[in-house]
Amino acid sequence: MITSIAHATIYVLSQDEALDFYKNKLGFEVGDDMKVEGGFRWLTVYPKSKPQLQLVLAEPKEGPMFTKDSAEKIRSLIEEGAFGAGVFETENCQKTYEELVAKGVEFIQPPKEQLYGIEAMAIDNSGNWFSLVQR
Amino acid sequence: MFRTNTAALLRRSTVFAQNLSVIFYVNLKVYFMATNYKFKRLNAGRDYIADNYQAPLSLADIAKYSYMSPYHFLRVFKDTYGETPNEFLIRLRVEQAKKMLITEKFSVSEVCEKVGYTSLGSFSSLFLKQVGMAPTSYRRKLWALSTEAYRFPSQAIPACYAYHFLGKLAK
Repeated sequence: MITSIAHATIYVLSQDEALDFYKNKLGFEVGDDMKVEGGFRWLTVYPKSKPQLQLVLAEPKEGPMFTKDSAEKIRSLIEEGAFGAGVFETENCQKTYEELVAKGVEFIQPPKEQLYGIEAMAIDNSGNWFSLVQR
Repeated sequence: MFRTNTAALLRRSTVFAQNLSVIFYVNLKVYFMATNYKFKRLNAGRDYIADNYQAPLSLADIAKYSYMSPYHFLRVFKDTYGETPNEFLIRLRVEQAKKMLITEKFSVSEVCEKVGYTSLGSFSSLFLKQVGMAPTSYRRKLWALSTEAYRFPSQAIPACYAYHFLGKLAK
């Protein structure tokens, strides 16, 4: 039986800029920031109340899995907003929305009643969409 | 007869549910205002630990940053973050020590001091308990696996990522 999710990936255009966004704007904490052989930077962040789920911030680069062409395609798809970063939960959507707007986070939808709760939609500094949901 | 009773019952339950939802909503609003404030204070204490993990910290000092009594702070912290302030502090110190042992030239004693421990013995036994090997063994083992000096080996990260980004499968 699988018991939980430990890591999930968010592809970003720049790890430095994404780190600034997720840490200083969304208030996430850095899990790992390690220099790995081969020039790879293993960078993870997590919401302070859930260290069990780490989000891996990775740059699509030419390597074993991506050709130069596919890495570039993924980068342009991120910028276009073709990828979603997922759903982040909050205990007060309106308040968190106001705090994040004040920090300069770009929202594409303000808090709105949905069937599953109150939801706002934002975009990270790479172009990934994410929802902010209060259940 | 049965239908009439059912309809009346349904009407009554709807009114009851509406009243209940108003009470619930008002209480929920008060609850969120209170929890939000509490969460902010709690976060201030947690940030204080994160910013000062290399210094000697006492629970009483940390709790002050959250305007709570040490015992209350400890309980609410554990409820919210799933670990005690001390477990959080140990996690930060051990993670930082692991990073320093691999990517820096510092001796084990220097690492011990830089992450906030005064006794090398207690640091080493804590590291052993958390990581499963002593600091020197950890450094020796990971350095031997890595192809580059002062870099973590690919085996230190989940294999699916190592393969994805480095083309290496753990042996």
